[in-house]
Amino acid sequence: MPTEISWTGQVEHLHITARAFLPMQPQQQIKLIAGEGIEGDRYRIGVEQGFYSEKPEEGRQVTLFEAEVLETILRDYKIELLPVEHRRNITTRGVPLNWLVGKRFHIGECLVEATRLSVPCRHIEEILEKQVFNSMVHRSGLNCRILEGGTVRIGDSIRPA
Amino acid sequence: MPRHITLTVAEAREAGPGIRHLTLRDPDGWPLPKVRPGAHLDLQVPGLGGRSYSLCGDPLVADAWEVAVKLEPQSRGGSAWVHGLEQGATVEAAMPRCTFPLAAEATRHVMIAGGIGVTPFLAMAPVLERQGADWHLHVLYRAGQPCPQALAPWIAAGRVTCHDSTRARRPDLAALLGAHMPGLQAYCCGPLAMLEGFEAATAAWPEGSARIEHFTPPPLPSDPSARPYRLELARSGVSDEVEAGGSLLAALRALGAKVDASCEGGICGACEIRWLEGEPVHRDLILTPERRKTHLMACVAQCASDRLVVEL
Ligand code: FES
Repeated sequence: MPTEISWTGQVEHLHITARAFLPMQPQQQIKLIAGEGIEGDRYRIGVEQGFYSEKPEEGRQVTLFEAEVLETILRDYKIELLPVEHRRNITTRGVPLNWLVGKRFHIGECLVEATRLSVPCRHIEEILEKQVFNSMVHRSGLNCRILEGGTVRIGDSIRPA
Repeated sequence: MPRHITLTVAEAREAGPGIRHLTLRDPDGWPLPKVRPGAHLDLQVPGLGGRSYSLCGDPLVADAWEVAVKLEPQSRGGSAWVHGLEQGATVEAAMPRCTFPLAAEATRHVMIAGGIGVTPFLAMAPVLERQGADWHLHVLYRAGQPCPQALAPWIAAGRVTCHDSTRARRPDLAALLGAHMPGLQAYCCGPLAMLEGFEAATAAWPEGSARIEHFTPPPLPSDPSARPYRLELARSGVSDEVEAGGSLLAALRALGAKVDASCEGGICGACEIRWLEGEPVHRDLILTPERRKTHLMACVAQCASDRLVVEL
């Protein structure tokens, strides 16, 4: 059994939001700050968003989601979930996110470490008025810590460290 | 789970007799979540909990929500609080919910509003107009038009007819609605007596072709068949007996569950939870038969079996 699979992928969409319940905003580029999070995003550590229960946490400085999952949700559940709707920061293509827990990889000029799989939140159904929760179980993306910061742009490569 | 959005009162003004109109924005002006026409916002009234008010602005406006609230001396305290809000005040709200949606498949929409019940239709009007839909709104009131500024362009366009009952006899709802025709959808929002009149006038219409939105929950008849049952919370593993006719919402809270509530009468959708086992008796006015298979409204639901297991 091979211990490593080889892969390279890329950044397809970027989104941030200043507050947990407001719509995600599309970006051409985002700034990752090592040990903290993304400039302007709700999960950045040290920027208190005290009203919300979605608190920043050490292992969730940047979040990723596979473009391929959006396509399979449409295929299997006939639900159109848009990149702006899954509420993760980076929509990837060609990256096997579920395989990467505990691993380090590069996103453009940045280096991150995957801490755990994201879990979907029921609240997303209320926000989107789409019954999308079940379709997202076990493929709701990846939470990462930022080891080396920098700018991430749409089209940047994502590759193993 | 109660989670709230913080909003700033960007503008507060009068909008007809005894009516206060608020424009709410994110404190930094960020775009707000998308809303559907007919949605309402549960404002968190300090010390009282959530109070529902229909959003009355154009849903296309992404960075502001509008509500218009009539001062009700008989109310449970929410309207008096809203009337005391000034520009710059901070308020908390739950995510808007839509329990009074437009019928997408309809080819003609006829709406009847009683007084401040005009608010959800003010949000629907621009949406229907952009769709090029065939629609008409009748506004019935006494002692002054509600939201005159918002109504004026629609009156000028011939979309809205005002019926002032201090000047002419209150029109007959059946006459305003006419006979049902294929594609016709009727809506009514107003005081309970008007909703009852509307339901009587549309009693023979096909199912789903006449929708109503309550201001205040109608009183629930006490249920002679109510029975005690055991309530179990699947996630936390705790359970307790609920006495016959006892409040499920109160029992959940007594067990430490955090459940939102607003109308406490099965009309607003705030207290929706998932159930896993048992036989809920629903008694709400908003869940679809499909949704009832997995969800219940905790403020009014009871249980017909010995056990009720909920996902909390
Ligand atoms: S609190 Fe409004 S439906 Fe239960």
